[in-house]
Amino acid sequence: MSLFSRFMDGWRKYRKPGYYDEFDYHWTMTVDLDSCTGCEACMTACQAENNIPLVGEEELAKGREIQWIRIERYWEGEYPNAKLNFMPMMCQHCDAAPCETVCPVSATYHNQDGLNTQIYNRCIGTRSCAVYCPYEVRYFNYYNHHWDSPLDQQLNPDVSVRGKGVMEKCTFCIQRIRDAKDLAKDDDRRRVRDGEVQPACVQSCPTKALTFGDRKDTESQVYQSMNNPRAYKVLDELNTDSSVVYLKKVDA
Amino acid sequence: MEAENNKLGYTDIHEDVVRSIVVTGPKYYATLATAGGLALVCFFFPWFYQLYYGIGAAGMNHPGVWGTYLASFIFWIGLSHSGTLLSCVLHLTNSSWRKAMYRSAEAMTLFSLVVAATYVFVHVGRPWFAHWTFPYPNQWELWPNFRSPLLFDVMAIATYLTGSTIFIYMGSIPDFAAVRDRTVGWRNTMYSLLSLGWRGTDTEWHRLHWAYTFLAVLIIPLAVSVHSIVSWDFAMSIVPGLHQTIFAPYFVVGAIYSGTAGIVTVMFVLRKYMGFEQYITKLHFDNLGKLLLVLSLLWTYINAIELFTGWYSGTSDEYEQLSFKLFGFYAPLYWEMILFCAVAPLLMISKRFRTSFVPMLILSIAINIGMYTERFLIVATSLPRQYLPDAWGFYAPSLVELSIMVGSFAVFTTLFLIFVKIFPSVSMYEVKETMETPKLKPAIPQAGSPA
Amino acid sequence: MTTCVVGLFHDPQSALAAAGELKNAGFETPELMSPVPIEGVEEVLGKKKSIIKNFTFFGGLIGGISGFTLASVTAILYPHPVGGRPIITIPPYLIITYELTILFGILFTVLGFFISSRLPAIRNRMYVPEAAVDKFAVAVTCENSEHRSRADAIFNGAGAEQIRDMGEED
Repeated sequence: MSLFSRFMDGWRKYRKPGYYDEFDYHWTMTVDLDSCTGCEACMTACQAENNIPLVGEEELAKGREIQWIRIERYWEGEYPNAKLNFMPMMCQHCDAAPCETVCPVSATYHNQDGLNTQIYNRCIGTRSCAVYCPYEVRYFNYYNHHWDSPLDQQLNPDVSVRGKGVMEKCTFCIQRIRDAKDLAKDDDRRRVRDGEVQPACVQSCPTKALTFGDRKDTESQVYQSMNNPRAYKVLDELNTDSSVVYLKKVDA
Repeated sequence: MEAENNKLGYTDIHEDVVRSIVVTGPKYYATLATAGGLALVCFFFPWFYQLYYGIGAAGMNHPGVWGTYLASFIFWIGLSHSGTLLSCVLHLTNSSWRKAMYRSAEAMTLFSLVVAATYVFVHVGRPWFAHWTFPYPNQWELWPNFRSPLLFDVMAIATYLTGSTIFIYMGSIPDFAAVRDRTVGWRNTMYSLLSLGWRGTDTEWHRLHWAYTFLAVLIIPLAVSVHSIVSWDFAMSIVPGLHQTIFAPYFVVGAIYSGTAGIVTVMFVLRKYMGFEQYITKLHFDNLGKLLLVLSLLWTYINAIELFTGWYSGTSDEYEQLSFKLFGFYAPLYWEMILFCAVAPLLMISKRFRTSFVPMLILSIAINIGMYTERFLIVATSLPRQYLPDAWGFYAPSLVELSIMVGSFAVFTTLFLIFVKIFPSVSMYEVKETMETPKLKPAIPQAGSPA
Repeated sequence: MTTCVVGLFHDPQSALAAAGELKNAGFETPELMSPVPIEGVEEVLGKKKSIIKNFTFFGGLIGGISGFTLASVTAILYPHPVGGRPIITIPPYLIITYELTILFGILFTVLGFFISSRLPAIRNRMYVPEAAVDKFAVAVTCENSEHRSRADAIFNGAGAEQIRDMGEED
């Protein structure tokens, strides 16, 4: 290739918004608000899977909880006709994430799988990504945490434990995705099939309100849900191109 | 310029400034010790406590992840704006009332920037890695993210710090030479080194004038850009209430406003305690007061526009932000800010007020309190009220934060006190320029001249 | 033997007049030393060329180019796609370009000042301490004693308070 065409090719690649011509996988989650009962099993599973610290009563009272997935609760109406709406809120892994641009040390970036990744080792704790996130799903470690025995025996060896001063957030259980991709590669270099990888929250949901998959796979459940007439994205007007699709609750 | 019956001469300003550097009394040492002690106890010890235990020592939480550290950071950068910027603008317009005060004003800039830079280390979660924000080659081939508004911040403040240091140094070279001749011992060595062998020849003056003018021309757009860039830390987010284009002019005007008020405070202290009553006069306070009045009107206008656009937008997020700011928990602070920064400065319409020293001092301190409140409100009322109502929270500063805030003023005072004893705090050669030339001495035959 | 003669004046006008006369009388361009910059020097002693502006300009140019290059090249070395933006984005990189333009402009101006004013002075140069306080000094080199007396006459004619012998010029 001549120098000129090499330069032009590089230039086009570096000037393309989003950089990737296409993602390897494009992980998406669907949340069916009709099925969600607000039981918070997903929160417990996430805490167990990802070594999320228990900050303690005092810190919780100060508002320093770390909940990679949280159930948002909205009341409608007055007693005795009050209705409760639950909305599980986790990192939306936006393709046009506002949090990624602001990190001065590039501790968060968009990877080839369409995931918004957080690199704990690089984070210096400016907390600007938490400010820029409109969904407020980024959590900061205000202290070093410790796990009282026997909880320290429950820690997941696949996930690092974060020290103080580091931001963290939902990763779509990237350790499970990586394991599934490794297994698929060993098994005849095929792609990960729909349903083979499930983050902890999806796996533990009793009503199957959460589904997870690759939206590039047109046979997958998540792809079908995206075409559901009930489908919408939270704060879509901000043009964040999120990867979590919510299915509206239908009032019977 | 000076009172007609005073007839100050070149030697007077010379002696006064040299005396202010060389002669130190017990009062000075007592003040320095107090300021240094306060700085240590209120700034450094809580900071080390926080370094050891974590940012949890401060009052920040989720979603109020930014707190008084960032508000103070912006306040100190704002305070830094007036000194050098004003000095450069007034130099280019050849104004004469700048001469006596610009050296201290530039020093104020420099030390505000130093305190602000220290605040960066207080604010981030892992300050021992803060050097990663600088572009240096390393084995991971990792460079900072130049698309980040926070990184623009780092670059802009580094440039402004370098520029201010160079600017104040260049302007002081002739004064260092003048002081060098009157000092002995370690002071003599220090000033000889600092003055670079300046002799005062016409060539040197000419070169200095041109270099200084070019520096002034370069620093004015720099100063405007620095605070715009700092405002973009907020404005480039999509937080309702912060995501506004007015933020860049708002912050720049606010910075010059609070910085000028800072200059008034510093000038009062300087003239009262360093013996400069004859050089820093009512004229300076009068002009500074007029400038403050104009800036206060501008600031009021911008605030009104912010309210208007927020209300006119009609979107629930902006509206919620505004009502939380005006009528929520921190409403008393908001109205205090309006009182101190928009209403009280109207007193300066009267010339009698402008030329009285103590009222101007009180007003300038009030303005700075109001401006600090403004920065605090920007952080504390916008982050806890974003798009998703379930994620709303509340932020209040903790003791550690308040102590560090007080301590930062002590650090600034310590640095400034050290400055007045090393730098000539009033620019001798510029003040001499405004004076009449020395009177003719009676003819006494001197050795070496033909009788 | 060349000596340096310095005449001390109490005001800039007489110093300037003396310098002008010395120049017209054929001496080497005299040096004026003063505590404040004197107005009107260029009319009497000739226009001074300053090369500082070249330094500033080239400093700014180099700064601008290096700013954009730094941002773009370091972004290419380890591409981190963020926020759906391209790797080489123009508006953010213009900011660092702007800052480095100004920074290098400032630094090069200082360098130009040092070079063109021959500071810092490594060796001892002729110095009149009163010129830093309130006197205006005119220094001129004289080849021989005949020049010396002519210089003395000009100084006295212009109203010098003191005439001083500064010895051999280095």
